[in-house]
Amino acid sequence: MTISSVSLMTPTQVVNQTNKLQTTPYEAQQNFANSLKEAIAKVNDQQITSDNFTQKLITGGDVELHEVMIASQKASITLNATIEVRNKVIEAYQEIMRMSV
Amino acid sequence: MSIFYGMNTTASALTAQRLRMDVISSNMANMDTARARQVNGEWEPYRRKSVTFTAQESQFSKFFNVALGKNAKSGVGNGVKVTQIKEDRETPFKLVYDPTHPDANADGYVNMPNVDPLREMVDLMSATRSYEANVTVFNANKSMLTKALEIGK
Repeated sequence: MTISSVSLMTPTQVVNQTNKLQTTPYEAQQNFANSLKEAIAKVNDQQITSDNFTQKLITGGDVELHEVMIASQKASITLNATIEVRNKVIEAYQEIMRMSV
Repeated sequence: MSIFYGMNTTASALTAQRLRMDVISSNMANMDTARARQVNGEWEPYRRKSVTFTAQESQFSKFFNVALGKNAKSGVGNGVKVTQIKEDRETPFKLVYDPTHPDANADGYVNMPNVDPLREMVDLMSATRSYEANVTVFNANKSMLTKALEIGK
């Protein structure tokens, strides 16, 4: 394996790159809010699917028992993943708030 | 969602095994059914049914993606599906001597279904074990995902 040498950017290059990526704080906030909303909607979709399957099963619909179980497991895994992300976010926030000024 | 790829595959296998179990139930239930359907005014006994499994291969777009080297997962199949429920026309009907039977012929023999209970029992065990194996795969899949959620805890 060859190890490639670390190429350093000249300060002007760095400035140019950061300039390109600049967005207004409002835009950034909107982007973040939207993607968070979408992600949570997806998680909610899994919960709704699981609910629908359960409903179908108990009302005697054409649905297999294992399908219901699998749907509920999928919902539980996505929810747990979301909770894990939320915990990380809260942790980061608290870490910042604990900073002594 | 791609994280549930394996789970969907397992789900297809479970559905297929359930269907196989249903067909075996039907065979067992009709072990002594001399009248299943009428052919030219004559009653024909029940015929043993069996399921045919086919691997659910990926669609064209997936093969295309593999060719482009886009997604390594596309080479994996999509599980299994039942393509047909076939009637067994090779095994002959069992001839049973029972002159009192309404469907007995002139010599007193009745055609009985070509269902072999021993064979059905073996199929039944096979279906049950396959189902169990797939549930184990599902649980392994789930524990892998929950382990992944523990990363960095």
